Amino acid sequence: MSELAEFLIRGALLGVMYGLLAFPVSLLFVTTSSVDVALGAYAILAAAVMYTTGGTLGVIYAIGAAVLASAIVGLISMRLNRPGAVDHVIAVLGTFGLSTFLESFVLTLFGTSPMVRHPFDTFWDLNGIRISPQMGINVTVSVAILATLFMVLQRTPFGRAMRASAANPVGATLNGIPVRAIWFSTYLLGGLLAGITGVLILYTTGTDYSAAFTLTIWGFGSAIMFGLGSPLRGFAGGLVIGMVQALSAGYLPGALSTAMPLFFIFVVLSLGRMNRISATGGRV
Amino acid sequence: MRAILNHRFSSALIVLVIAIAIAPIVMNSPLLLDNAIIIAIFSLLALSAGMSYGQAGILSMAPAAFGAIGAFSTSIVTIRYGLSPLVGLVLALVLPMMLAYPMARVISRLSPMPLSIATLLLSMLLELAIREGGKFTGGYNGLSGVPPLAFAPGAEGMYVLAWGLVVVVVLIYANVTDSAIGRAVKTARHDPLRATADGVNVPALLASYFAMSASVAGLAGWLYAHYMSYIGPDSLTLHVSVNVVLMAVIGGAGTLLGPILGAAFLASITQFLPARGTQGMFFGAALILVLLIAPNGALGTDWRKLFSKSRIGPRPPVPVTKVAKVEKQGGRA
Repeated sequence: MSELAEFLIRGALLGVMYGLLAFPVSLLFVTTSSVDVALGAYAILAAAVMYTTGGTLGVIYAIGAAVLASAIVGLISMRLNRPGAVDHVIAVLGTFGLSTFLESFVLTLFGTSPMVRHPFDTFWDLNGIRISPQMGINVTVSVAILATLFMVLQRTPFGRAMRASAANPVGATLNGIPVRAIWFSTYLLGGLLAGITGVLILYTTGTDYSAAFTLTIWGFGSAIMFGLGSPLRGFAGGLVIGMVQALSAGYLPGALSTAMPLFFIFVVLSLGRMNRISATGGRV
Repeated sequence: MRAILNHRFSSALIVLVIAIAIAPIVMNSPLLLDNAIIIAIFSLLALSAGMSYGQAGILSMAPAAFGAIGAFSTSIVTIRYGLSPLVGLVLALVLPMMLAYPMARVISRLSPMPLSIATLLLSMLLELAIREGGKFTGGYNGLSGVPPLAFAPGAEGMYVLAWGLVVVVVLIYANVTDSAIGRAVKTARHDPLRATADGVNVPALLASYFAMSASVAGLAGWLYAHYMSYIGPDSLTLHVSVNVVLMAVIGGAGTLLGPILGAAFLASITQFLPARGTQGMFFGAALILVLLIAPNGALGTDWRKLFSKSRIGPRPPVPVTKVAKVEKQGGRA
């Protein structure tokens, strides 16, 4: 298999995790018009808890910690964006605050050492490419979760309520939909997905306390790739970001390989549709 | 009170009077003098954050990054090329502006959310560039031996210069805020369509304002480099930006003196906090608390109204049936 194909496959496998992070970014933006910058911090927290505890219970603790943290952000955002005083930039600033808090919390409690686990000694051979079975787990878990969420969004009353809250909050409220509760559950869903991503990252590439903002950027970049409006498109965006990372690491020297994916997101951001959203002050 | 604080000249005058009044005290203590200079530098950074966030509504996570550009540009021209720090000053003012303006034009196009993410990206890219800059930026070791300023000899001279620059920046900031430009920025922040209808080129205006705030951050970086005589990759990082935004928010990002008050408060109490790694917990929690209790900051909040509201609260509406009953009883409840 060609070198290029190898990089693309490895990148796509890595991007699966970014796709998981992109889902809550899109969902939250569609539902609340805000961005949770602390998503990466939830993932780091989950990875740190999982790294320390381990085992099946560790998974529960790790994801539970991430959901708890997202619940705090949800409550703060609800308080900051109470009726009559909606300022999404303040809510984003609040999530910056919690992200800083969590990063420092992980540093203080778990230290500066990199956190990584390699559960498999044997590798799969895919046409000459050595792939860890962990990648298979990542793909299976991610696809299963996204398929479930897609079904929940499209087929269940909760999903319809969520879509209604996103499309027209006032109309949804008048129809008896608890819009604020839906907003809060969106934050919780973000924490859940970020927690799962954190556990998967621990067993794949590993991480450390300082990666919170970087993970948020990968998730955000994935989400904006094909438009923030659709959570499922974010998953495809994750694959693209993963491929760009892998290609940069393969073909570019040193620091440029790290910088290129960030440049790529910057370009996508400047060309993306997100910029036009507030061009009319939210009137159209 | 707020009207007085926000007056075009009074804000700068207040800073000047306080700086002169405390000068005899701080000049007698090297520790206090050092703190006062650091507070002045962080006040400039916080004023930059206040301009972009408090006035234009652009949440910039890059004030420290723009400060780093100013610090590295003056360090490079003075150390590597032996040029005057004044050349460094020009670069420190112009380079952040030249980077911020096109970035804001390309990214913002009226939407502050992607711009705040873009500033986060800029911070990360800049930190990377500094670390990997080799001999040019000093790499992981940074650049040491930045020459002191001949026209501000010793710490005393630096105190006068630093607070003098704060006064000048507040004066310019107050004038711009009170001008047609400042009013247009406020309109554009709250209602871009209305501002456009009024004939304001909103993207250009917000980008210019953002560039001006970046320039103030560059000035802070210039001072930082010449005072500390060292600038490295860990000096003005993304975390410093978060702290600087916190300073502006605590003091009141939308006010003229709020960022300075926030900088003085946070820079002072930082010394009493535990290790640097743990400080993030304090700063993060403080930011959230301030946003919850008084999102307009210490000087932007009407405290009397806030407390009277929470203690007394609005009188609950009287049910219609009870009103009818009271009226029937001739007003005797």
